[in-house]
Amino acid sequence: MSAAATTHDHAHDHSHDDHAHGHHEQSFIWKYLFSSDHKTIGIQYGITGLLFLLFGFFLMLLMRWSIAYPGVPVPALELIRQLPVINGVFDSMFGRWMNADGSLNGELYNMLGAMHGTIMVFFGIVPLGFAAFGNFVMPLQIGTIDMAFPRLNMASYWLFFISCVLMMTSFFVGTGPVQTGWTMYSPLASTMNIGVTSVWDHGHTWWLSAMVFNISASLLGSVNFIATLINLRTKGMTWMKMPFFCWAMFVIGFLLLLAFPPLEVASILQLSDRLFGSSFYLPTGLMEGGKHLDISGGGSPLLYQHLFWFLAHPEVYVLILPAFAILTEVIPCNARRPLWGYKSMVYSVLTLGFLSFLVWAHHMYLTGMGTMMSTYFQITTVLISVPSVVLLTCLMVSLWGGSIRFNTQMLFASAFLPMFGIGGLTGLPLAFSFIDLAMHDTYYVIGHFHYVVAPGTIFALFAGIYHWFPKVTGRFMNDKLGKLHFWPSLIGMNLVFGPMLIQGMAGFHRRWYDGGKYFENTSSMSHWTTTLTHKIGAFFGLNIPDNMLSLNIVMSVGAFILALGQVPFIFNFWYSIKGGKKATSDNPWDATTLDWATPTPPPHGNFLFDPVAHRGPYEYSLPGHNTDFYPQWESEPGKPDLKALAEKAQAHH
Amino acid sequence: MADNVEAIQKSIKWYFIIGGLLIILSGATVGLSYVELPTHSLNILVGMILATIKASMVALIFMHLSHERSLIYKMLAFTAALAIVLFTLFILAHEDPLVFPGFYAPVEQQ
Amino acid sequence: MDIPYTVHARPDTGLYNAKIGIWLFLASEVMLFGGLFSAYIFLRVGADYPWPVHDLDVKLGFINTVVLIASSVTVLMALAMLKLRKFGWYKINMALTVLCAGVFMFNKTLEYKAKFAHYAVRLTDGTMLTGHMPKDKDGNTIHYQVKFDGVTELTLSVPLKHTAVTADPVGYVLPFIEGTAPKFKTESGQEITLDEASFETLSAEAVKKAKAENKGTASIKLVATAPIKLAAKPSEIFAYTDTTITFRDGTTATGKLTDDKMTFEVDGVDARGVAQSEKSLAFDHRYLGEAWQKAFVENRDHHIAKFETDYPTRDKSRSATLQKESLFFKLNSAEPPAAGAPHGDAHGAEAHAPAEGHGEAHAHHPTVVLEKKDFTFFSNFTPKLNTYYAIYFTLTGLHGLHVVAGAGVLLYFLVFDGKRMRQDPEHLANRVEVGGLFWHFVDLVWIFLFPLLYLL
Ligand code: HEM
Ligand SMILES: [Cu+2]
Repeated sequence: MSAAATTHDHAHDHSHDDHAHGHHEQSFIWKYLFSSDHKTIGIQYGITGLLFLLFGFFLMLLMRWSIAYPGVPVPALELIRQLPVINGVFDSMFGRWMNADGSLNGELYNMLGAMHGTIMVFFGIVPLGFAAFGNFVMPLQIGTIDMAFPRLNMASYWLFFISCVLMMTSFFVGTGPVQTGWTMYSPLASTMNIGVTSVWDHGHTWWLSAMVFNISASLLGSVNFIATLINLRTKGMTWMKMPFFCWAMFVIGFLLLLAFPPLEVASILQLSDRLFGSSFYLPTGLMEGGKHLDISGGGSPLLYQHLFWFLAHPEVYVLILPAFAILTEVIPCNARRPLWGYKSMVYSVLTLGFLSFLVWAHHMYLTGMGTMMSTYFQITTVLISVPSVVLLTCLMVSLWGGSIRFNTQMLFASAFLPMFGIGGLTGLPLAFSFIDLAMHDTYYVIGHFHYVVAPGTIFALFAGIYHWFPKVTGRFMNDKLGKLHFWPSLIGMNLVFGPMLIQGMAGFHRRWYDGGKYFENTSSMSHWTTTLTHKIGAFFGLNIPDNMLSLNIVMSVGAFILALGQVPFIFNFWYSIKGGKKATSDNPWDATTLDWATPTPPPHGNFLFDPVAHRGPYEYSLPGHNTDFYPQWESEPGKPDLKALAEKAQAHH
Repeated sequence: MADNVEAIQKSIKWYFIIGGLLIILSGATVGLSYVELPTHSLNILVGMILATIKASMVALIFMHLSHERSLIYKMLAFTAALAIVLFTLFILAHEDPLVFPGFYAPVEQQ
Repeated sequence: MDIPYTVHARPDTGLYNAKIGIWLFLASEVMLFGGLFSAYIFLRVGADYPWPVHDLDVKLGFINTVVLIASSVTVLMALAMLKLRKFGWYKINMALTVLCAGVFMFNKTLEYKAKFAHYAVRLTDGTMLTGHMPKDKDGNTIHYQVKFDGVTELTLSVPLKHTAVTADPVGYVLPFIEGTAPKFKTESGQEITLDEASFETLSAEAVKKAKAENKGTASIKLVATAPIKLAAKPSEIFAYTDTTITFRDGTTATGKLTDDKMTFEVDGVDARGVAQSEKSLAFDHRYLGEAWQKAFVENRDHHIAKFETDYPTRDKSRSATLQKESLFFKLNSAEPPAAGAPHGDAHGAEAHAPAEGHGEAHAHHPTVVLEKKDFTFFSNFTPKLNTYYAIYFTLTGLHGLHVVAGAGVLLYFLVFDGKRMRQDPEHLANRVEVGGLFWHFVDLVWIFLFPLLYLL
């Protein structure tokens, strides 16, 4: 054995063995359901998150239909109506709100929009990006056996699960789910459907309760992540030898820890307005339907917005940092080059974490903020783009001179760079209040942030799934199907979100269910893209008008392509768990970080030896080294030989 | 917290002293709140200063922050900075409205 | 498999895991209460009514402060005793801590309970009346109700889709009928007793019919065989006119409005929202009348004169205390005091609303019968009353939850960790230290809560 062996702690080793025996006797429930193992919890979070992403995506398909073809019955509705159980569920979730002919109305669109936003943000990306990847990979990368508080970790997942159930319940209650956007601005949110006979018939009550649980789950998770990173790093794993992935998780942990409590406050106060009739967010003299409400008034709608955005801006970094975390693993590994500018990335991400708390009111330029405050928020907003640019640039430069392996994860990773670039650059103008006055609440904003989260974060998450799949399951996902997943996704994403930027600049308002059909001024405009669409349509014998409405059709086609593109992925994902090509090595991608030093899949307790970090995490293509990678755990080139080690350990057991 | 017997016994003494001080200061806070200072804001200021002193005593002695590890100081400094950001920006945003009372000419006089 | 550093500190950070965990958790708690306190500031600077100062029971609040401080000391003692391995003393101190938590929560309950029984009514001119709803002979509160007579026709509406507002006669009509409900005639002429089962069959029929006619809502008409008297709290009514009443569930009834006056025992007149305080609607001849008005004016002028002699240079209009003392008039007897009667000293009146929760005190207040057109809003002292009580209940409620949680954890250590105490006291000491840190934080929050809500 190598240096690792000399530091072997025998007492430790024994407890290790004991547990390995007990482990076999664990029943299914304790092993897979109520497990406190960080890997199982990571997988639980991952599957839940993926399912919610899919669900949120379906909500979006219905919305897109309504935008492109307002008043036209949803296709395939007849099909759904034939299916036994699904019909019932579909009907109580969506069907009961539809027009008699099966088309969407504004009410239903609003429900879909609000739930799409909520689910994508709080139930899709964060659980997948932070909780799933972080839980699975981070403890492996710092060479520890589990999280600092395994039972808290389990509690975190189950609180999250309760919040999922509560959120889904809101679809079935009397008023249906909330209709007031994922931002849930009061007073609209608090006064909507105020006449319910029971508050539990109100989707809003369920939404708020779900959020309280969701937030508590995040808090437990983030305490655990940070404590683990501080105290459980293995020997030699100094802060600056930590993979960037862990740094990103560290920062996300702090963002969640310190930004979520004000949202919890916002939710609790809104819940109090709903349940106890208080007026935290309700101003004096508020009327609804020509009647003064039976409230005391005296509250402030702005208070809600401040509390909400104090969370929600850091939240966007919670959405994007997992992407950077994953890419800093995928890109160096597949470009066979060290990560360029590791240190500057670390300092950037720390700066970004801090600054992200200081910019929130750039979402509130239109709330009547004075010039002093808006100047302040413009400055900080422009400042925060600097570390973001550093992160992206470092990733791009890391490609320079590499011998790139274009496997599926690398395709997704390299597509991320320009896509996030578009998302980021379209965001810069929004930092200026005078531009935001025109752009606020238009499709331009929707286009901007979707470029960041959809082809940005989601592509990175896909890359991560393809990358770590062999470590989790011991099998590869199919590369051909992967490419069949990648190309339609890339094309679809751009067809959906590109036109949004154009429409937005033409003045299309977001949250309109009819796609601007009834808004002559903004929709009658033509543009070279609309002319092009018109001509392409004519080529196929379709009559697509040469105005902004044509872009709606482009987007819906794009959404459809995107949907089709996910079929190979879903198939690939489930099939490869049992039927994929077997991974013959514990380190199939020749990576350097400690997560690849474990057996495949990693057992309870993770490592067969006590890992020691001997060097930085990105030692690829070292001059004079006999292989093009030099893992962190090897004390000298080629040692320890993992396979031999594993066999030895097997024999030892 | 120190671990040898004398040190513990000494700190016990301090706990009682600080506990007594806290109660006295609480009484002072109550008393002072009934004193009519030139403006009520001054009353608030005095009350908050007393509360901050009490809170620091709890944090430093009861929560042993007077001799804690630097890591915890860093974490708390960061949190405190954010909490201060939260307070000050909320107040500033509230005090700097684009349309303040009197922005438009008073309506009654027309 | 053991997680490293659960008992002993990691050498380079100098901390064991749980200590990092609790401090991180406390950091997030700082932000939680930070958010709440900034909400408090936001609401206070934006309040369009006089912010209540010294309105809560200061004595009770002070007792609770002392209790919490004492418990902070005992939890520290517990840890010290554990480190000295004096297990008996450790247990006694832990038990004392939990006991303190119990006392704290008991006081809190007293405080809340008094609030729930105390009401305020806002008159149209901005006057706030505080006081109580009258009680009947058995001591039950008589709540304000809107009364209808001669009701014969009920219309129940059942939307065909499942929505939040749907006819619920068992929840929304039957409970409001005075006496026993008569039989009802349906449209088909059948006579039924209205209950869960009969409503179900009726609505099934109506739904079928509405579907056949392609209507969105099924409606059921019922005619009572004898006129009904209805009485309902305003919160259960959606709207009413002189002849119709609509309940929250969408059911409408036609009849005649007989009474929507509110009988109220006044224990305070707050005229701070009125331009000319002595002309407050409260002193209308239908209500408190001239004698009380005189007492009010006398009290007001007395306080103003006193202020002028005490602080000759100060601006009267800017003293919130003066505003309160002179314009928030407490009524401590059923009849107006004889002219020139001695005044209570400055703080006597505000120590706390006198009759909170004490049954016999009710006789000591004048009773007024308020017409609906004269008041716009009423509530008991709950979050609904104003933003001050909203934030008060939220802050103290969340703080109370923390007290309960913290005490629960300490109690758990006391009761279930006996084995650990004997075998691994060092580990238990870590746990108690962590629990204690949380407990001190709860104390620390109270240190700010108490002055902000009770005193300033
Ligand atoms: C993957 C493909 C996606 C498509 C095609 C899509 C499409 C849409 C559309 C059409 C809207 C409605 C715009 C409006 O009417 O105002 C919307 C809103 C929104 N989406 Fe997506 N989306 C996708 C993914 C995501 C993801 C991954 C997130 C995660 C952060 C997300 C977050 C949101 C939010 C927060 C809103 C605003 C909801 C609101 O108005 O309250 N979306 N999206
Ligand atoms: Cu932002």
